[in-house]
Formats: sequence, structure tokens, C-alpha cells
Amino acid sequence: MGVKGYVAVFLAILASLLICVLAMASTEESVVRTTWAWPTYIDPAVGSDYSSSVAFCNLYDPLLMPTADGGMDPWVAESWIVSEDGLKYTFTIRQGITFHDGSELLAEDVAFSVERLLAIGEGYAYLFYGKVESVNALDSTTVELHLLEPFGPLPYALSRLYVVNKDLVLANLEDDGPYGEHGDYGKKFLLTNDAGSGAYVLEEFSVSDHLTALLFPDYWAYVSPRAPERIEMLGTTEAITVRTMMAQRQLDISDQWQTSEGLNALDKMEGVDVASFFDGSEMYLMLNNTKPPLDDVHVRRALAWVLDYDAVANSVFPGSEVAVGPIPQILPGHNEDLMPYRQDLDKAQQELAASSYADTIADYTMEIHWVSEVPDQEKLALLFQSNCAQIGIDIEIVKTPWLTMIDQAALPETTPHIATIIVAPHYAEAGAMLETRYHSDNTGSWEQMEWLQDSTIDSLIDDALGTPDTAIRFQKYRDIQQRLFELAPAVFMIDKVEKHAFQSYLTIPTFTSPIPVMGYVFQFRLMELDLDQKAAAIGN
Amino acid sequence: MKTLKWLGKRLMHSIGVLIGLSILIFLITRVMPGDPARVALGARAPAPVVEALRQDMHLDEPIYVQYYFWLLGALKGDFGESLFTRRAVVDDIKEFLPATMELALCAGLLMAGIGVFLGAISAKRENSWLDNSVRAVAYLGIVTPPFIFAILFVFLLGYLLPIFPTMGRLSTGVAVPPVVTGMVTIDAIISGNFRAFIDALWHIFLPALSLAMAGIAQESRITRSSIIDNIRKDYVGAERSCGIPERRILWKYLLRPSLIPTVSIMGLDFACTLGNAFLVELVFNWPGFSRYGINAMLRKDLNAVTAVILVIGFVFLIVNIIVDLVITYLDPRIRLGAQRGK
Amino acid sequence: MLSDSISTWISRKLESARRAWFKFARNPLSVVGLVIVLGVVLTAIFAPYFAPFPQHAGRYVDFGAASQPPSSTHLFGTDVFGRDILSRILFGFRFSLTMGGVVLSLVVVPGVTLGLIAGYLKGHWIDAVIMRITDIFLAIPPLILALAVCSVLTPSLFNAMMAVSLMWWPWYTRLTYGLATSLRSEYFVQAAEVIGAGKPRILFREILPNCLSPILTKMALDMGVVIILGSSLSFVGLGVQPPKPGLGTMVADGAKYLPDLWWIAVFPALAIILLVMGFNLLGDGIRDLMSLEEV
Repeated sequence: MGVKGYVAVFLAILASLLICVLAMASTEESVVRTTWAWPTYIDPAVGSDYSSSVAFCNLYDPLLMPTADGGMDPWVAESWIVSEDGLKYTFTIRQGITFHDGSELLAEDVAFSVERLLAIGEGYAYLFYGKVESVNALDSTTVELHLLEPFGPLPYALSRLYVVNKDLVLANLEDDGPYGEHGDYGKKFLLTNDAGSGAYVLEEFSVSDHLTALLFPDYWAYVSPRAPERIEMLGTTEAITVRTMMAQRQLDISDQWQTSEGLNALDKMEGVDVASFFDGSEMYLMLNNTKPPLDDVHVRRALAWVLDYDAVANSVFPGSEVAVGPIPQILPGHNEDLMPYRQDLDKAQQELAASSYADTIADYTMEIHWVSEVPDQEKLALLFQSNCAQIGIDIEIVKTPWLTMIDQAALPETTPHIATIIVAPHYAEAGAMLETRYHSDNTGSWEQMEWLQDSTIDSLIDDALGTPDTAIRFQKYRDIQQRLFELAPAVFMIDKVEKHAFQSYLTIPTFTSPIPVMGYVFQFRLMELDLDQKAAAIGN
Repeated sequence: MKTLKWLGKRLMHSIGVLIGLSILIFLITRVMPGDPARVALGARAPAPVVEALRQDMHLDEPIYVQYYFWLLGALKGDFGESLFTRRAVVDDIKEFLPATMELALCAGLLMAGIGVFLGAISAKRENSWLDNSVRAVAYLGIVTPPFIFAILFVFLLGYLLPIFPTMGRLSTGVAVPPVVTGMVTIDAIISGNFRAFIDALWHIFLPALSLAMAGIAQESRITRSSIIDNIRKDYVGAERSCGIPERRILWKYLLRPSLIPTVSIMGLDFACTLGNAFLVELVFNWPGFSRYGINAMLRKDLNAVTAVILVIGFVFLIVNIIVDLVITYLDPRIRLGAQRGK
Repeated sequence: MLSDSISTWISRKLESARRAWFKFARNPLSVVGLVIVLGVVLTAIFAPYFAPFPQHAGRYVDFGAASQPPSSTHLFGTDVFGRDILSRILFGFRFSLTMGGVVLSLVVVPGVTLGLIAGYLKGHWIDAVIMRITDIFLAIPPLILALAVCSVLTPSLFNAMMAVSLMWWPWYTRLTYGLATSLRSEYFVQAAEVIGAGKPRILFREILPNCLSPILTKMALDMGVVIILGSSLSFVGLGVQPPKPGLGTMVADGAKYLPDLWWIAVFPALAIILLVMGFNLLGDGIRDLMSLEEV
């Protein structure tokens, strides 16, 4: 054939590819694409991270729905009655909710969901584990929940109870499983399928990289008239991919892990805005209270005084606010009277001098572990290192992948001296934070790397959680926060803002009044997609 | 017959190597510090649930017991469950391996096609400007790490001139063709879905090219020097004097023997491709086996790591056997020698 | 008398060195390679003196000077932490060179020795054992095994070097094995056997010197490969850890900021390419030198 022939064929292939490429340019369909840090588990008894929670909020319905002001609205449960002793909750289940397969949502589905969640024990099960004794469906619209002890914030926690289609799951069990007659409890089935009643029906789920879902025409609750017909969650946070896809209008909302430089660049793009809101999470420098020299409260307080909080809030994570105590300020139950820490090198020196390690502090090198998936945390680590150098404390920086961090958090010996961790409350109340962050039952978790293990604090938390009256409970919370403030088990750095770049043809009401429970900001049924504006933007 | 005997011996040898490899990998992964059960279930899982998983994974038993259970399962085709995807590793392999194989094969085709082609025209016009520029570019191809090419291509052809997509195997909205081989391009052809085929090619081009760069450079250099060496040989002169047209000499009589060193290098290059695939898969977010492997290693997903290494070892061994077979076919001296019972 | 023979020996060595240089320098590219390698080595050794901002390679942060494009103060610009990229690259060469040097030193001696023993004792059970083990290590693409080992240990340059060394030695064994097998039937080896020379003596005095040229050539070319391997590992996060200025690490960090802050990724990438190119050109030159000498 010869050289010329070869080249001709090659060029012909290239040309035809280009033609097809142009033919397949992005169209203005009614779709909203978002990027996420993967993995995502769409089984409501298994997943519990951000992307999984977003999936739950759209594919399933929770028992109660959280609101922007921190309250709880009736949802699947229309109303409930609490018994005198606080041990029995009777819920009335709303009628007229259909699952995606057409069957009706009944009380037995609710009871089944609770049993399944507790039996499997993963995901959000820990919120109810040890508190819920039993559940039963009295009739098709009444469910009774029995508690082992009074649990004041139960209604808040129920925003994490997602109702699963009992018949569908039972029809898809694998007999070979650890749950006795329930086999694998449908875990294999729910890994890639949905058994929900939510606003969106799962269309395609690729374990490794994406999820697509279609609007459910028979959804019972409000759906905005211009809500997207289809939603796509893509499992990548690569800066250049996000950039490219945003520019070509193939991505509508970015993940929250882009760097500040990346977000600035996205903001400068025509037709792209950046939303910034407090998501109710706080970033801490968690100090391992069992490792010397951090076992001395004076050393911990010295670290709390040495950090340049303003630089953190303005340069490293612009838009965030310096924290006031261990609880984020927007969380109901926060103690507003606490004084925020600010950088004060003199006070830091004083605290250091008052400690038992005053003369020997230079012999200790402490490691600060930052999460590699959050690149801006490296800046924080370097800043802290240079701050500490000013009072003679030596810090070593270690980049740590998230899963390694989780691994290290399991034991006090493996937990690093200092870890930069972001913690979000599991339901919109200070009690949630206090329990996960400081109760001894929850040690060994990445959410509590201080190993505080203080029995006084434990009993105070238990007491507060067992108080059904909100005002009294919140007062108890304030007291606990004051004590924690003095104990300084961690450095309370910033109330974190969540930032997402998004296309301006998309209106997202939850960005302006965010719901402080992880995942609920991304209820796609509430969003409004202006298709004409999108077509115009693509044309640019 | 001789070939079959040789093939049989090679296979036995390979099985022995695989078993040795499995022991080696098993030891390495089990030596890792950390509690895989806790990592899998997340930090807040209640203690009884974690304990149940530890029992299930035989984590508290001595190492040879663990190996025994693992081997038993492996022979049945069960490599355990991945801590990351929460399903059988075998299922993960079935999903991800074809993606990487597809990438490697495309890279291989590019290497063979472009590499040999460049080497051939370079040799034909020895010392021309064409030759020298090809050699310079080839040189850059060898000294540049593959991840730099990947980033470069994503930037140039994905962002600056957005001609190619920078993630995934198919555009969302293009239906995945029914799975026959798992390789989207081939499946698309089989099911007659032309649109999916073009879309898949469009997606695979950049990652395959990034992966192939080093190989293209190598192949072109070796083909070039091999042809140049052979061109001076006597048999070419003899063919010319017999009146055989020049073009035919180049493509039919010269290329085949010149390809022998190229093909043997190709085996090695293919191995490097498999090895470097993870770099490209990471940058392009390609849902392939190597990316799965790297994530498994970073996440201490024991079962997945063991399975990944064994599978890659297996593939590598098979490729080596194929390469040896091809060389035997290409080089009549070896083939004839074998026939004469040397 | 003694001083005479010493001075003759010296002048003979000088003469052959001059000849070697003459042959080597015939190809200008080889000289370019040598210049690059020497330049990088010197820069790496004297980095604290050459670097305009040596402290930026260590614990340093200055948000005020962050993300600045290349200018007269910062020739290659600054990164998002305010650190001078040129200085970091100069220190980064240290890591790359250390990786190559350490791996090769660890690997060559055991690898070659095993290959010699196995090759000379061909047919013996020792040969079978050595080569089987070598085959196992060669069964998988090199990077994969290095990754597996790296992921088990805490990520660091040291562990990466150990991991790469662990799976690099078989290549030398295989090479030496092939050479030793063909050499053992040579006359001079058989002559040594006849006069009753011990096996170690035969291995190291007779066979080894004749294997040297391919081995040395491979070592020079390997430097480039090992450096690419090291930067790939750092790119993934398993080699040099931030905030240390490893070249692969810098490219990985910088890739996030393309295309606006392009200098953060581009210059370290060019540095890697330059370094590898230097060793490759040098290696090619050595190979030409060795093969010409044989002829």
C-alpha cells in the first residue's frame, strides 16, 4: 500500500472521528451534573459519607425532614406522640407515598428499615445503636419505637432513618448471608439498586465512578417545576477535569474539595458562580490527649494560643470564620458566651511555662497529620509549624490519605499527636457533636481523635441527651461546652464554609439557606434549571 | 508438535511462578499493620459487627491458615470481598480488567502502528530532516515519564483545545453496549452500535496515546536501526538485482526480519504499559484495573491487592508466551531450526 | 626501578583514558549528556549555595508571596505556599539522584553475584533455585511490585528506594546469567579450571571482567529509568513526601493548579525530563564507547 496510503487512511479515521465529535457536542438536556469524592454507597444501611448521604436524600425519604432553621418537619412520619417516660414513640405514617416500583409505603416498611439498619450496623446505625430496643408496626399507618433510655434528640436523628421497600428487599435476598433467615439482608441487591420512594429513581450506578437518576413522576412531596429531569453524580475531583467540564457546561456543580486557587479561577469564568455557606461543620486540630507532651492541659492550651487563627480563616480557607468553642456557631445549642481563641504568643508562652514540660518541650517532636484529599490543609500544617517554632515547639508534617487516617484513629498508640479533621454533626443539634466528639463510647473514630475519656463529661453528655425538654437540654449543652473549652482537648479552629462552583443558569435555594444536615443541601428536586439560559451559555 | 511440547513446558513453568508469586504477595499484604476489618466498616461500627467481620476474614488465625483459606477460595474462583466496593473481588476484576486491557491493547496498537511506521519512514529517508525530527521526538518520548504526557495531553487536547474528553469511557447518555468482552469498543461493534463505538474511541484515544508514547519512541528507534542494519545486508542487494520493486522489498522482505527485535521489545513494552497504566488511569479517571489496584494498595484492601497482582502476573506471563510464539513465527531460522530438531 | 614501572603504569592509564575520551567525545550528544549529569550532580551537592532561597526547600510558608508567576526575583515563580520553585527544584535533584544512586548500589552487587553463580553453575540445583526466584520477581511489571511494597510501608523516599531495589535486582541477575553461561565455555575459563583455580577466583577474576561492559552500560541507562520510577511513585504519593521538594511530588501538586499557575507543575516536569535525558545521553555514549572498545 505504501506510505501515502497509510497516511491517507490514518487521516480519514481522524477526520471521521472529528466529525462525530462535533456532532456529539453537549446538548441542553434537563440534567444537573455534579462531582464528588467517591466512593458512594447507596444502601441506606451502609453509607454515611457526603456523597452517600446525597444519594439517600434523593433516592429515599427520611422519617423526618430537617429544615434550614435547625428544626424537624414531619415527612414520612406525619406526627408522633412521646410517652411520659420518654421510652415510647408512636409515629403516624403518612398515606399516599409510593415506592419507585409502584407499591405503597406502609408502617411495616418503616419498621423493617429500622430493624435492617440495626442488624447490619453500618452507616448511620450508630445513631440508634444501644438506644433503640425494638420497633413494631401496629397497623398500616402506625409505628411504635421502644427506647432503652430516654433520648432527647431522637427526632433529629430520624433525619437519618431512610425508609426502604420491605417487599422489594425481601424478594432480592441472597440466602447465603450472616443474618439468619434474612440472608444477606439485601446488601448485594442494594449495592447497585434502589428500593426507595424519593424524588429520583436510580437509573445507573457504576460502583467505580458514577450514578445517574431520573425524576420520579409519582413523587408525593414538592418538586420544583424546573427541577432537572435527570441527575448525575460523577466520582472525580480532578482539578483540571472539573475546570474543563465547567467551561464546557458539562458540569453544573463542583465538589467542595477544589483548592481556593481553583475556585478563584472558576469564579472568574463567565456564567459560573461560587456559593459559600456554613454547612455546620468545624475544622479542628485534634490533639491526642494520651501522648506526651499533650497529656498536660497547659501544653494543649499553649497550642490553642499559638495558632494564627486569622491567617487560617482569611488566607487558607477564605470565607470561613474563626470557631467559638467546640460546637459550630450555627448549630442549635451552641454556647455564644464563649470567648474565641485568638493568636496570643505571650499567653502561649505562659501556658507552656506553667506546664510540666516547660524545660523539656524541645525534646518532643510532634507530628501533624493532614488529609491528602484536602490539599489546602497542607497550608494549614505549614502555618502551624511556623507558628509553633516561635515558642520553641518542633512540628513534623505528615501527609496522610483519608483511609489511613481512619485506620490510625482506631487506637491511642497509632493516633497522631495532631490531626487536621473536619467534623460535621450527624443531625442538627449540639448534642450530636458533643456525643460523637467527646463521649468515651465513641473513641477510636476519626471524629474523636483526642482520647479524652473523661467520665465527668460522659455523664454530663448522657444526662443532657436524656433530657427531652429542649431549653433545659440546651442549657446543659452550654455547660459542657464551657468545660471543654477549659480542658482544651483540641484546638477549635474554624467553622468551615463549604464552597461549590456552579453554573448561573442553575438556581439552588438551599445554597442561600442551607440545611445544616449533611447531604440535604443537595436535594435536586428543589433546584431550578433554566434551560434557555443553559442553551445560551453553551453557545458561548 | 515440538511447539506444543514447548508450550506445555512454558505453561507448567508459569504456574509454578504464579504460585510462588501468590505466596510472596500474600506474605507482603498480611504483614501490613492496621485492622482491615475496622477500616472496612468505618470507625463508628459497633464492636460486635467488627468482630464478626474479623472472624469472617480469619484475621486472628496464623498466617499459613489464612493462606490455606485464601488458596481454597482462589481455586474456586473466590478472591474474597473488596473492602472498598463491598462486593466480590472477582466481580470487580470482571468489571475493571477489560477496561485496562482495552487501554493496553489500544496503546499497543498505537505503539505498533505509529512506532513501526515512524521507524520505517525514518529509516527509508535516513539522515533527512524527517529522520532527524522523528529521532528527536522519539528521544523525548523515552525520557519523559508517562504521567507528564498524561497531564500534557489532558491540558492541551482536553482543556486548551477541548477536542477530547478527559474522563470516563463513554459520555453519559450514551448507552453502554451489552457486555460481551467488557471492552466497550469491541462490544459496540458486536452489537452494531456505531455511535457508542465512535464515542468509546474518542474517550480512549488520549489515555492510550499517553501510555503509548514511550513505547512509540522505543519501537520507532529500534525499527529504524534494525531496518538500517538489514538494508545493508546482502539479501536486499540480491532482491534488488532480481528486479523486485523497491516498495515490495521494504514492506515484504525487509520489514519482517527487522521486526524481530521490535517484537521482542514489544513484549517488554507491553509489560511497562501494564505497569504504567495506573498513572494514566489516575489522571484520566479511567475505571480500570490498575487504578483499582493502586486504590486497593493505598487503602490496604488486602483481598483486592492480592488478586490484582496475581492477575497482572498472569497476564504478563501469557503475553510473554505469545511474544515468544510470534518471534518464533517471524524468524524462520528459529522455526526451521526447531523443525530440524536442533 | 619501582618508580619507573609506576610512572609507566600511570602514563599508560592516562593514554587509554585519553583515547577513551576521544572516542566518547566523537558524539557531541554524549558530551551534552555528561555535561548535564555533572551539572546536576554539582548543583545537587551545592544546592544550599546555588539556590537563591535555600530555606524555601524546608519549613517555610509565606502566603503574601504565594502564587507568583516567574519574575526576576523568582525565576521559576512561587507556589501556593510562597516558596521559590527554582530553589526547590535544585534541592529536588538531591532526592532524584539519591534514589538512582542508592537503588543501583544496592542492586548491582547482589544481582550480579547471583547471576554469576547461577550462570557458572548451570545445571546445578543452585542455579535452578536462583533462577526460579528471579523468574518470580520478573513475572510482574516492575512498578506493580514496587507499589505493593510501598503501600504496605509508610510512604517515604527511603521505603520507595527499598521497594524499587527489591524488585530491580533480578534484571542484573538475568543479564549476568546470560553472559556467564556463554562465557563459561570459553577457553580462558577452561584453562583456569584445568590449572585448579578455585570457583570464586574464576568467577571474579575471569568471568566478571568480561561482563563489565554490558553491566556498566545498563547501569548508566538504568539511572534514567529509576529516576522516572521514583518520580512516578512520588507522583502517586508513595515516594518523597511533601513538604519535601521531590520532583514528582511537585508535579503532582502543581497539576491541580493548571492552567493558571502553570509554572508550579511545568518547571519540575522539565527538570525531570532534563535529568533523565542527561543520563540517557550519557548511557548511550558509554555504550558506544564500550562496544567500540570491544571491536
